[in-house]
Amino acid sequence: MSQPTDSVLLKDETWERVDKATGGAAAPCFQCGVCTAICPLGLVKGETISIRKIVRQAQLGLPGWADGLWECTTCLWCESRCPHEVDITKAILGLRQLAWKEREVPEGLPTLLWDIYFDGNSWGRPPSERPLWAKDKAIKEFSPSDEILLYVGDDAAYDRRIQKVAHALVALLEAAGVTFGTLGEREPHCGDAVRSLGHEEYVAEIIESNAQLFQEAGVKTMVTVSPHCYDMFANRYPHFSDDFRPLHYSLYLLELINGERLKFEKELPLKVTYHDPCYLSRRNGICDEPRQVLESIPGLQLVEMERSRDDTLCCGGGGGRMWMETAAGERFSDLRVKEAAETGAEVVVTCCPHCITCLEDSLSQVGKSKLRVMDLAEVAHLALQS
Amino acid sequence: MRQLHIIACVKVVPKPEEVKVNPENWTIERDGVRSEINPPDMNVLEMALALKEQHGGKVTVVAMGPPMFDSYLRLALAMGADEAYLLSDRSFAGADTLATSYALAQGIRKIGEFDLILCGEESSDGATAQVPPGIAEWLNTSQITYAEDLKIVPDSGMVKAQRELAGGYEVIQVPLPCTASVKVGANEPRFMDIERKTWANAEGPVTTWNAQDIEVDPEMIGIPGSPTIVDGVAQAEATERKREFLKGTPEEQVKALIERLRPYL
Repeated sequence: MSQPTDSVLLKDETWERVDKATGGAAAPCFQCGVCTAICPLGLVKGETISIRKIVRQAQLGLPGWADGLWECTTCLWCESRCPHEVDITKAILGLRQLAWKEREVPEGLPTLLWDIYFDGNSWGRPPSERPLWAKDKAIKEFSPSDEILLYVGDDAAYDRRIQKVAHALVALLEAAGVTFGTLGEREPHCGDAVRSLGHEEYVAEIIESNAQLFQEAGVKTMVTVSPHCYDMFANRYPHFSDDFRPLHYSLYLLELINGERLKFEKELPLKVTYHDPCYLSRRNGICDEPRQVLESIPGLQLVEMERSRDDTLCCGGGGGRMWMETAAGERFSDLRVKEAAETGAEVVVTCCPHCITCLEDSLSQVGKSKLRVMDLAEVAHLALQS
Repeated sequence: MRQLHIIACVKVVPKPEEVKVNPENWTIERDGVRSEINPPDMNVLEMALALKEQHGGKVTVVAMGPPMFDSYLRLALAMGADEAYLLSDRSFAGADTLATSYALAQGIRKIGEFDLILCGEESSDGATAQVPPGIAEWLNTSQITYAEDLKIVPDSGMVKAQRELAGGYEVIQVPLPCTASVKVGANEPRFMDIERKTWANAEGPVTTWNAQDIEVDPEMIGIPGSPTIVDGVAQAEATERKREFLKGTPEEQVKALIERLRPYL
């Protein structure tokens, strides 16, 4: 029997290439298509990412397999619904690793990695400017006797908007009498940008060098501003000592509140809704703790959006999408600020630099002028001052 | 037929915020500062590697500088270059563009036959743009400056380049061998291959040649070979910006911005 002219014979080496790059993650996929059907990109683009098609095309070595690969925000929505528990993120990141090898990478991403290589941050800014976010504050260099290392992260160090989040967090730590320090100029990029873009080999190098730095600095409890840095330290780094305890700051604030070191005594009459960052909620199961921080503020009213907790809608900034342009009208955050406004809340609270950036950007576009975006640390700081 | 041989000239420069000038001899201090591969030289490497992918052949990297350049040459190997030569000798120190281009030309002569020499348009520290034309003169090749795009014309022994002009561009074709300087931003330099980096650091072919190795006239290198006299260097004061933030909807902000710009149109 003759083959149809457009048939493709699956070669062992292309199959093995995908299997190796994805660490076998794609192998259990039985092509049911649930991931494709529920990918939230359908909400904004009308068309979802066809994960199963990407995997199949890559296995067959068909051209165009890298198209769509870079649209994924690694929000984990598909993975949470996959009937065969396929580690879809691992498959996507593995295919991205393959795309790096084959130079099928969107414009701008190689430059981002060079910036991280030469400058140690994703903003391409000098390390000497890293501590400038705190230039008006007397924040000391971390010493092992401190209770915590404050890991500031690239965004809070260099982005003027996110610097305000770090300022609020510092005020809260000071109010609670926490002894803390930072690594100043020595603070390295955590590796999230590199990992989420799938450069597994480079991120392994970053992790090895950073873990050594943290170990030598005597880091035990480490508090991060960003859930992305937290996810890296909690789940991707070797736990170099039994005492190493990475925490997102929302977890640490709750510890301070429960330990009665941080108390909100004055009323803050504010109606808020909380947007769960994917990297806290779906990826790390942290949904209650940020809400408990909000609920400890007297007078504050928390209302929920329909999509919340594990069902949260991604802001659009994960999976390296912060470093790629998303066309206006195709941004999850446009939908998200509308959903937040519909609750009647005055403020949409979140606790992730990417979420803050995306939501505020959408707010200026969508024009829900009564709604404001605030970080959890900013709300808590406001409660302390009110 | 011999395969295409591209020479990529590379310089290691201090990061812009690290540039400091020695007040005694007006040379740039390079010790203990954070450095990088000169940005347009990264575009050179990308252009050379892309041409190699298209036509086959070999990419050889050449640099003149202190031993600390070595690790940066290995980055070029990690990006895909085949081999690298570092021209390093205390007697090269203090070279101006004449002495630098002479030493580089001597190094390239020793490497052997080549088709194309690619250099960055200028270095971010010295910024004279004189070295590429200097190399072309020493080696008597055709030359193109400020190339944004460059193609080997098949079976013609010619190279065709688009070069930037104020307000436009021109396309010129010249015979090989050719020395071309490449505009910064002409392409996006590929990120290095980490496996290749491990190889490059352990056993990458980086050869160091001193002044004797490349048979230079001692009077034509370093300070004796440099007729340039730097009489002084002054720091330009940064202009203070107004830092005004426009308020309102995007439409209102655009209107307000136009009103601010109108007096200057």
